Amino acid sequence: MFGLKDFLFKGGAPAHLSEELRAAVETWRKSAVPAFDEAHFHVRYVVVDIASSGLKPESDELLEIAAASVQQAGILVPDDAGYLDFSGLRGDDPALDRQLLAFLQYAAKAPLVTYHVPYVGGFLQRAYKERLGINFQPQWVDLAWLLPSMFEEKSHSLQTLDYWLDLFGLGEGAGRRDAMDNTLLLARIFQMLLVRANGKGIDTARKLIDESRASSFLRRTH
Amino acid sequence: MNTQAEEMGTAELSLRREGRRRVAGGTLAFLKNHAPFNKMASEPLQIFAERAQLVFHPAGSEIVGPNSGNVRFFYLIESGKVQARQAGEVTVTEYSILSLGAGESFPIGAVTAGRPSTNTYTAVDDVFCYQLPAEDFMALMTSSPEFNLFCTQYIASLLDQSRRQLQLQFAQRANEQQTLNSPLAGIGSRSPVTVAPHTPLRAALETMSAAGVGSLVIADEDRLPVGVFTRSDLLDRVVLADLPHDVPISRAMSAAPFKLEEHASAYDAMLLMATHGIRHVLVTDAEGKLTGVVSERDLFALQRVGLRQIRQSIDGAHNVETLQQSAADVRQLAFNMLAQGVGAEQLTQFISALNDALTRRVIQLNLERHNFDGIDWCWLAFGSEGRDEQTFSTDQDNGIVFGVPEGQDAALLKQRFLTFALGVNQDLDRCGFPLCKGNIMASNPQWCLTLDEWMEQFSNWIRVPQPEALLNATIFFDFRPLFGQAELAETLRRHLLAQTSSNPMFLRAMAHNALDVEPPLGKIRDFQTDLEPGQPGKIDLKKYGSRIFVDVARIYALATGVHNTNSVQRLRLASKRLSIRDDEINAVLEGLSFIQLLRLQHQYLEGEPGTQGDNLINPDTLNELDRRILKESFRQARKIQTRLKLDYQVH
Repeated sequence: MFGLKDFLFKGGAPAHLSEELRAAVETWRKSAVPAFDEAHFHVRYVVVDIASSGLKPESDELLEIAAASVQQAGILVPDDAGYLDFSGLRGDDPALDRQLLAFLQYAAKAPLVTYHVPYVGGFLQRAYKERLGINFQPQWVDLAWLLPSMFEEKSHSLQTLDYWLDLFGLGEGAGRRDAMDNTLLLARIFQMLLVRANGKGIDTARKLIDESRASSFLRRTH
Repeated sequence: MNTQAEEMGTAELSLRREGRRRVAGGTLAFLKNHAPFNKMASEPLQIFAERAQLVFHPAGSEIVGPNSGNVRFFYLIESGKVQARQAGEVTVTEYSILSLGAGESFPIGAVTAGRPSTNTYTAVDDVFCYQLPAEDFMALMTSSPEFNLFCTQYIASLLDQSRRQLQLQFAQRANEQQTLNSPLAGIGSRSPVTVAPHTPLRAALETMSAAGVGSLVIADEDRLPVGVFTRSDLLDRVVLADLPHDVPISRAMSAAPFKLEEHASAYDAMLLMATHGIRHVLVTDAEGKLTGVVSERDLFALQRVGLRQIRQSIDGAHNVETLQQSAADVRQLAFNMLAQGVGAEQLTQFISALNDALTRRVIQLNLERHNFDGIDWCWLAFGSEGRDEQTFSTDQDNGIVFGVPEGQDAALLKQRFLTFALGVNQDLDRCGFPLCKGNIMASNPQWCLTLDEWMEQFSNWIRVPQPEALLNATIFFDFRPLFGQAELAETLRRHLLAQTSSNPMFLRAMAHNALDVEPPLGKIRDFQTDLEPGQPGKIDLKKYGSRIFVDVARIYALATGVHNTNSVQRLRLASKRLSIRDDEINAVLEGLSFIQLLRLQHQYLEGEPGTQGDNLINPDTLNELDRRILKESFRQARKIQTRLKLDYQVH
C-alpha cells in the first residue's frame, strides 16, 4: 500500500518546489510516526482549527491555521502552539510553502484533534496537495462525532460546536471568534473528553482514533 | 542554500512564536479581569501568560495536596470551584474547609517555600486551572512588585489567621486546665462573705466563724468593696491592738483592697499578689461591684510552685543562701508558666517583678552593714532589667544615683556607696544574676554618680552622639528605679526627655544606629542563618530580633516623651501619640512577643539549670507554624524599621 502511495505521489511534487523544500518534505515524510498505543499521558495531541474564505474546501481559500498541543493527558502548554496567517501572501509566494511545511514539522505526525474533519481536513488536504504535493492523511480525532459518543447523556446526535460550548459552559464569549479562539475552546473540550474517554477504557491514542473513526462511520450510516 | 534552510527553520519558529503569542492572548484576557494581575505591568503579565499551562481537573479530583511532594506549580483557578481542606490534626487557619473560585490562587505559601502543601485542594466541580511552574512563579515574584506584594500580603494574612488560631487553641487548653490564662470569673469564691462597714467587730467575727471562712470582704450597700479583713488581721489589729469588740469592722479592716475585674486573668492576680505581697484579690464587675474573691490558695491550686511562698521566702530571707533558693524557685515557677503557655510579655514582667523583689532584698540585707540615713540615693536598673524584659539569663546592669547633702564630701560618699554596691553586686551574682561583662554595675565608679553627674553624663551623650555614646544610650536610657528615692530617677528622666526632644540630631543618630542591623529575612530562603560567625545555621534572636524592636521603641519613646522603659508600653504609648493605627502596632507587638517567647522557650528547653542560656536558634528545628510566624515577626521588625527610616530620613 505504501508502495502504491509512493508511486502515485513521488513524482507528484509540484514543479515550483525548490530543492530544499522538496528535501524537507521528504525528511518529514520519512520522519517517525509517534507511538499511538501509548496511554494518553504519553501522547501529544495537536488541536487544530482553520479559518477560510468560505465553506467549500475545493474552491474557497484557506486563510489561517491555529493549533495548540494537549500533552500529558490534559495539559495545554502555551509554548507548544502554532499559528499561520496566509492572508497577506500571494498564491505563488514560496513563503506559503515554507509555512505549510512548518506546520507539518510542528505537528510532527501527532494525532490531530478538530471539530468536523471534512471541513478542516478538506482545506488542509487541498493546500498540502497543491502546494507540497502531499496527500495529507493524518490521524484525526473528530470531536463532532466523538462528543455524542463520549457524552451520550448530553446528546446522541451530531451538534453544532456552539451547542457543545454552551453545554460545557464555554459559550460565554459568544461572538466572532478567530481560529485560535476556536482552537483553545476545542482544546478545553478535548481536555474534558480525554478524562471521559479514559473512564470508558479508551486509554490510548489508538483507541481514541479508532473510536472517533467508528463513531463517525456508525452515526453517518445509521 | 543555507538561507533557504534557515528560512524553513525560521518558518517553524515564527509559527510557534505566533502560536504562543495567541494562546497567551487568551490567558491575558482572563488575567486582566482578576487581581493582582490587573495591576501588573504588561511585561511580567506576558511572561505569566506565556508560561502558564491550562489544565483540566474533573470534579472530585485532587489538584495538589500534602502527598504531592514539594509544590511545583502556582495554581490560578480559571473556572470552577476548588475546595481547600486542611490536612492533619492541628488547624493552622481559621477555616478547616475553604472554597475558592475563579481568579483565586493557591497554594501560595507552599510554592513560595518550595515545600509540600499543608492543604488538600480538590476540584468541587469541573475545574480549569492555570498552573505556573514554580521557577516562573519565583521569577515573577522578583520581576513584579505588585505580584510580590499580593503574595506576601496573602502569606501575612494567613499567618495572622494562624496566630489567632494558635492563641485560640492555647486559650482553649488554658480554660480546660484552668491555667494562669483563665479569667478570674471562673476562679475562687463566687459568693464571698461580706459585711457592711459599720458592722460591729464582734458581729463580723461571728459571721466569719459561722461561715467557716478565713477572710471577710467589707462592702457598702452598693456592693462596692471598701476593705478586707483576714484571720491574720485578727492577731495584729484586734487582739494585739486591744481593739474593743463593738467598734465597726471598718476600723480593723485593710482599706483600699486590691481589685481586679472579672476579665483579668489568674496571672494578673498572681502578679498583683507578687508585687504587693498580698494574699487576696477582690474580683469585681465592670461597675466595680464585688463578684468574688481570689485567694493565693486558689491560684496555688493552679501552680506547682507557690507564688507567695517564693515572695515570702524572698522577703523573709536573712541571708544570701536563702535568696539563692528563692532565685531557683523563681526560675522554676517561670518555667512552669512558660510550659503552660503564658505570653512573653506577661512572663518577662513576672520574672522582672520577682527579680525586683529579690534584688531589693539583697540591697536590704547589704544595707544592714551600711548607713545612708539622711542621704537621697536610688538603685537603678539598666538594660533589659530596666525595661522589665528579663529573660532567664540576664546579667546585671545597675547603677546608683545619689545626692550630696550640704557639708558632706562627695568623693567620700561615693566611696561608701561603691563599697556597698560591691557587696550587692557580688550577692546578686551568687543569686544567679551574673556580673556584667561590660562592668555596668553600681560598684563601678563610672556608674555610681550624683544626680548632677548623671545629668551631665546624659547631656554629653546626647550632645555628641559618638558610637560609644549611642551604645551607652541604649543601655542607660532604659533606667528604672529599683530601690530608694524614686524621685531622683524621675528627675533624671525629665532631664533626659527634655534633652532628647531638643536634640533631633541625636535621635537621628540613634535611628541610624538602630538601622545597622536588619532582620535576617532571606531573599530566596526564609531566613539568613549565616550572620553569626562560628554559628552556621543559627539566628541570634536577640541581636537580629528583639533588639530591633527594643531600639525602635526607645527612639520613639524618647521622641514622644514617653516615661516608660518597657518596649511594649513604649510602642503602645508612642504609637498613640504618633497616631499609628492600633492594628498596625498590635501586629508589631505580636511580632516582638513571639520572638521573646521563642527566646524564653529556647533558654528554658535548652539551657542547663544554672547555666547561661543563649539566644541562638536554628530555624530548621522549629515546627512549620513557628517558622512561619517567626518569619512574619521578622517582617514586622522590618516594617517598624522602615517607618523609622522614613521618619528620620535615614538612608
